[in-house]
Amino acid sequence: MLFAQILVNGVLLGGLYGLMALGMALVWGVLNIVNLAHGALIMLGGYAVYFLFTGAGIDPFAALPMAMTGMFCFGYLLQRLLLNLIVRSALLNTLLISFGLDVVLTYVAQWAFTADFRAINPSYAGANITLAGITVPLARLAAFAVALLLAGLLWLLLNRTRLGRAIRATAQNLVAARLYGVEPRQLYAVTFGIGAALAGAAGGLYGVVAQITPYVGTSLTAKSFVIAIIGGLDNPLSVVLGGLVIGIAESAASLYLGPTYADVISFGLLVLILVARPARSLRMA
Amino acid sequence: MNAKLLEIEGLSAGYGAVPVLRGIALHVAAGEIVTLVGSNGAGKTTLLRAISRTLASRGRIRFDGRDLGALSPEAVFALGLVQVPEGRQLFARMSVEENLQMGAYLRRDAAGIARSFERVYRLFPVLFERRRQKAGSLSGGEQQMCAMGRALMAAPRLLVVDEMSLGLAPVVVDQLLGVLAEIRGEGVTILLVEQDVFAAFSVADRGYVLETGRIVREGKVSELAADPEVRRAYLGVAEAG
Repeated sequence: MLFAQILVNGVLLGGLYGLMALGMALVWGVLNIVNLAHGALIMLGGYAVYFLFTGAGIDPFAALPMAMTGMFCFGYLLQRLLLNLIVRSALLNTLLISFGLDVVLTYVAQWAFTADFRAINPSYAGANITLAGITVPLARLAAFAVALLLAGLLWLLLNRTRLGRAIRATAQNLVAARLYGVEPRQLYAVTFGIGAALAGAAGGLYGVVAQITPYVGTSLTAKSFVIAIIGGLDNPLSVVLGGLVIGIAESAASLYLGPTYADVISFGLLVLILVARPARSLRMA
Repeated sequence: MNAKLLEIEGLSAGYGAVPVLRGIALHVAAGEIVTLVGSNGAGKTTLLRAISRTLASRGRIRFDGRDLGALSPEAVFALGLVQVPEGRQLFARMSVEENLQMGAYLRRDAAGIARSFERVYRLFPVLFERRRQKAGSLSGGEQQMCAMGRALMAAPRLLVVDEMSLGLAPVVVDQLLGVLAEIRGEGVTILLVEQDVFAAFSVADRGYVLETGRIVREGKVSELAADPEVRRAYLGVAEAG
């Protein structure tokens, strides 16, 4: 029974992890940018939903589309005005500029929002349902469902629309995509905007199930990085699967080994997987 | 059929201070298959880059009477000057069908796109059979067909085929040459850039021989094939006596 409970906790947590990593994997695969500011975008999305909830009284789940819209615009402009300068350039350039962006966003958030812990606490935050002795927190269940929904929508966008086809084509062969009329700068900006919107959604859900501070981004970037590598950069559904693996491993580790071991487990798993299947895991989209 | 679709005069181009092409003059009339042959390093790829405007050049390039000099690569493509790039450049992890759809990326006429699909699948039945397969899993010849099909999806007026025969078995090359003739039969003009001179001459009407950045011979392929110099240098035929 305890094991089943851990499994449920891990799956619910893992779905959210998967959503966090989706945007990072997308941007990495298409733009070849390892976005170290991805966690900071998650953090900003969390604050957006927090203030929509506490300031305007909008239910956090209803606030998600608004936060996503805002984050899309932010991400689009960021790519157009700044990141297009380094797109598909040397890895070090992308790491430097996105690290700098992470620092700026973190300290602007600290200045604007203070360093206080914030949690998004709607009336149903503490509600649970119990099924066969397993407790399922409703807010986590809802967050999990939204994460799956968004992953499914991203899959549909990438695989069933003209825009998605162009995004994948650009990721696979930039020369040929340009040859047939794809305008990469515009496409990169839209892609980064989608990545930022997904980060924003993840942040809002994270604020519902945990607490937000300006500094939460760093560890979420690391986690997203691990999951993106495990899940691969090609398929949103396998990224969510990667999230589930990490979620289950972490919740088992924190019970059997203690909560401090959670990160050891996720990075340990990364090393194991890279050793075991380096070709598949590191294949760039 | 004598209207000049592509007309190049006094074209020079190069990389930095290094000139590659000098004073190229070449034309392709509507409905023709013209081949541009030459060995490695002769400047064929540079000439294609100048035509597609991905490389700056001096001199005049006109397509259907319009000067391409000031146009972007995208604008040239939109006019119907479409390339089948060397090395095929497929989207390897997308299906054959999706690769073809990418060829029609800029087109919005659903009915026209559907007609182009029909045409491509008629010319290359194997692509229809394999339309759900990943392009990267096709054989070399099928990949070349996919690349040609993708270019046809862009509704080209001039199809520029770069090194079609590269790495393919002779029997596959023969098959592709037959398709080129069929494509021309459907009203698409073709500029075929080849190292395999024998293959190129078997399908083309006229040819140009490019050597170290200059056109050294031009004419009907029957005349070129009879030219002792061309025979010696490109067809591997030693003249008796």
